[in-house]
Amino acid sequence: MITRRPLFYWVKTSNWKLQILLLILIAVGVAARVFPLEMQKRIVNQAIGLGKLNLLFLYCGLYLAAVFLASVIKFLINVIQTHLGQQTLARLRKELYAHILTLPMSFFRRTSSGMVVSALVTEVVSAGELVGQAIAVPINNILTLLAFTGFMFYLNPLLASLSLTIYPFILFSIPILQRRANVENKKRVDATRSLSSKVGETISGIHEVHGNGSYHIENRRFGELVQELLHIRVRWNVYRYAIKGLNNLFQNMGPFLLFIVGGYLAINGRFDLGALVAFLSAYEKLYDPWKELMEFYQTYQEASVSYRRLMEYFDEQPEFALTPPDREPYELAASIQVRDLSFSVAPRVHLLQKVSFDLEPGQSMAVVGFSGSGKSTLVHCIGQLYRYSGGSVKFGGHEVFELTKQDVVRNAGIVAQTPYIFDGTIKENLRYACEAIYDSGKEGDAPRLPSLDEMIEVIQQVGLFMDVLRFGLNTVIEEDEDRELHERIIRIRYRFQSEFGEILGDDIEFFDIKRYLIFSSVASNLTFGTAQQDPFKSENLSRNHYFLWFLEESRLKQPLLELGRDAALQTMDILGKIVPDALFFEQSPMEPDEFEDYTILSQKLQTSSTEELGGAEQAMLLKLALRFVAGVHTTGELQPGLQDSVVQARREFRDQIQADHPEAFSFYRMSGYLPSLSILDNILFGRSRMDIPGAQERIAKSLMQLLIEEDLLERIVEVGMDFRVGPKGDRLSGGQRQKLAIARTFLKNSPLLILDEATSALDNASQKRIQGVLESRWKGRSTIIAVAHRLDTIRNYDKIAVMKAGKIVEMGAFDELLERKGILYELVHGVKTEY
Amino acid sequence: MSSSTESKQSTKDCKDNLQLLMHLPMLSGLPMEPIKLLAYLCKRHVFRPGQTIFRQEEVDANAYLILSGKARLLLEEPQEIALVEVGEMDFIGVLSLFCEMKRIYTLRAETEVVSLTLSREKFQKTLEQFPDVGPRIFEATARSIIRWETHFVREHLAKCPECRNHMGIPPT
Repeated sequence: MITRRPLFYWVKTSNWKLQILLLILIAVGVAARVFPLEMQKRIVNQAIGLGKLNLLFLYCGLYLAAVFLASVIKFLINVIQTHLGQQTLARLRKELYAHILTLPMSFFRRTSSGMVVSALVTEVVSAGELVGQAIAVPINNILTLLAFTGFMFYLNPLLASLSLTIYPFILFSIPILQRRANVENKKRVDATRSLSSKVGETISGIHEVHGNGSYHIENRRFGELVQELLHIRVRWNVYRYAIKGLNNLFQNMGPFLLFIVGGYLAINGRFDLGALVAFLSAYEKLYDPWKELMEFYQTYQEASVSYRRLMEYFDEQPEFALTPPDREPYELAASIQVRDLSFSVAPRVHLLQKVSFDLEPGQSMAVVGFSGSGKSTLVHCIGQLYRYSGGSVKFGGHEVFELTKQDVVRNAGIVAQTPYIFDGTIKENLRYACEAIYDSGKEGDAPRLPSLDEMIEVIQQVGLFMDVLRFGLNTVIEEDEDRELHERIIRIRYRFQSEFGEILGDDIEFFDIKRYLIFSSVASNLTFGTAQQDPFKSENLSRNHYFLWFLEESRLKQPLLELGRDAALQTMDILGKIVPDALFFEQSPMEPDEFEDYTILSQKLQTSSTEELGGAEQAMLLKLALRFVAGVHTTGELQPGLQDSVVQARREFRDQIQADHPEAFSFYRMSGYLPSLSILDNILFGRSRMDIPGAQERIAKSLMQLLIEEDLLERIVEVGMDFRVGPKGDRLSGGQRQKLAIARTFLKNSPLLILDEATSALDNASQKRIQGVLESRWKGRSTIIAVAHRLDTIRNYDKIAVMKAGKIVEMGAFDELLERKGILYELVHGVKTEY
Repeated sequence: MSSSTESKQSTKDCKDNLQLLMHLPMLSGLPMEPIKLLAYLCKRHVFRPGQTIFRQEEVDANAYLILSGKARLLLEEPQEIALVEVGEMDFIGVLSLFCEMKRIYTLRAETEVVSLTLSREKFQKTLEQFPDVGPRIFEATARSIIRWETHFVREHLAKCPECRNHMGIPPT
């Protein structure tokens, strides 16, 4: 298991071809670094000393070549190290992630997702990167050290041993200082913490400080802490600088020894000058590998500590094997036999005790009872989400905890109480469960996905059809995609206007050329069309010279600049101090990613008027103004006078641009398709009013018949299936999420269906609809176990299990249990005898 | 509604919203920043006479501050029973700001109702931005529940002897 592997496992299993290449490069690199020293000596002694120019050129050339080679090799070493490190990091992440996903549910109850995130994102980094260095750095530096010392000994053994005498002192004294620095560092962390908690306390109790006038008391207390921190910080820094200083001192003392001894030897003629120069260079070059070795040692210590702690945290066995090693997954008949099932979370804390029952394939059972009675736990044990602690659960004759995950997911579908919807489209979420069955991760094992018809059928069953239809209607289809589709939509537009124009008039703002459109942007109001050429697209209009000229001519520029200014300043006023979140920008024409730019601009606006701004800044304000939708955006105010001017300018604009740039726009006309507007806006030839709740639903309902008659319904639903549900499905309502979860499990068509309060977030009508589907389409075909939270849905189940305190206290058909006048009777009739 | 009246729904409204929210017991005494954000995030909705604002047993993640008009709370199931009439400055459905819940009652507009609607998502995202505000809102909400329960006990204890057996603790 991954968590039991020592850190060096990752070194051992890293890419050995690269590691060997690395070793070769290191060897060459060390040689290439020592070589210039020898050249140095020869340049001084032979070339300069003997005055031989050709030797000078030769040696200098070789020197240069060696330096060049050493740099190239150093670079290659770094590249390979990075490769090794990042490869290991990626491997470590993937394997740890795969391991974490298989950990038992109980693990995730006590682990925050933040912990997993930080483990996979930050904590593995040091370990992973260490692997890249684990071989290269120590070997490289030790070899370099050895090579330089070797060279020094070759030059002069006496001097060499003399200059090495200082290293034992360094090795001895620095760790002592380091330990002291560590102690002070720990104290510093503690003192900083108490200082900040003191500040926090005083500020929360500031009214008490003011009330009592106790400023001096607080100042004194704070002062004491600050003073203490000051002392600690001084000591800590003194130790740190002492280490640095000591190291430098020793290093710098080296040359002193060399000069005095070497100089003496040279004067006496026992040591040549060139050798002395080379010796000094070699000595200085010892410093770097030495430092790197020390640093590596520290990194290694830190990385292995954090690696150990990380792995200890996730050191737990998965409860079930994922895939059967030696056979295909079973196709099970969904008979369920539960005998003396018990589940305990701690000694003497039993969530289930001695539960027994049988279900034949195709039978259905409802589980009811008080909350906390173990209903969910029971179905979780059957669905292999929990590993039960006693008794037996047999699914198609196999003990559930001996089955692999693959066996279970092929044969059982589970709808959780609070289902999770993943970021992606409706279609992707619908396919999720099916994809998981057949996509085993092996190559050539392509998932067998449900067809569009199957998906449409199932969203109808769960009552999600209208929602998906609405998503589809709100989609903008790409330009020139389908002429025929455009024509059909225009046909529906005419029919809609004549059949529903009157009735739904209050819910829709039609594109009326004589009126200002509250639910369209200022730009659309002015152009009353969609741009066909890039420079006239709404995002470019604020920088379009022709358009700006028109604004100037029609005296709209100044009022629009003011509108943009208001919008920018008010957005800043409200959102200036918070973390930008897309939700907060719904009512402002500003986009979250523009926030920073407008922050700077709005600071300038505090002191400058809009006229004083530069062209680019004015364009920024115009951009906001042109995007402004009066019925939606509440930062900024569109004066009625300005609305009238915009409506007046509309015709002028049209005449003008048709003369100057006839191809630039396609104008809103009843007879033409409006590109870049949604299908719904196209059909309505207007916008549904967002301030009238229920408007969209009423419109969609009215549209249904028209869409069927024009054979467009499925097409639009298909478009709606590509609606992106957002992270955690948060663009869907709770009910929509639950319906989607039921639909995706229905699509699996599994022999066993487990529903854990699957309809709790749904309104009555939807619950009844789904119950109806269960009874008409599933009953008899699949075995159903449903935890029910409402008693009016359980009447038609074959068996009802009433649970209390982890036990089944009553079991039988609905009528049978009512006759018995036991607990179900009390539950149904609302008589409660105890809590 | 004519276009000119609608368009006023902007700055002025935002400031009006602020005035309105500041005086709600749930938000009173909070710093200005979060209330300003909530005032900006609220939406104005217009309900027609007879329109259901929310329905019993349905999940609806909004709270409604009624600005004008009259609406009535009622029980639709098992049979329709009219309850209290609500109007200007009544803040309805506050608890759904805190968790997903099904409506206990139906709220139906009797005249045209204009409401200031706040969604749970926006409310909770606002609380995330101002972490120290949450506890104060919870406290104010708990206080209003206590007030309500005190009132409930006083009113019902005398009239409903059966209720005594399970008053004071929440049902399981």
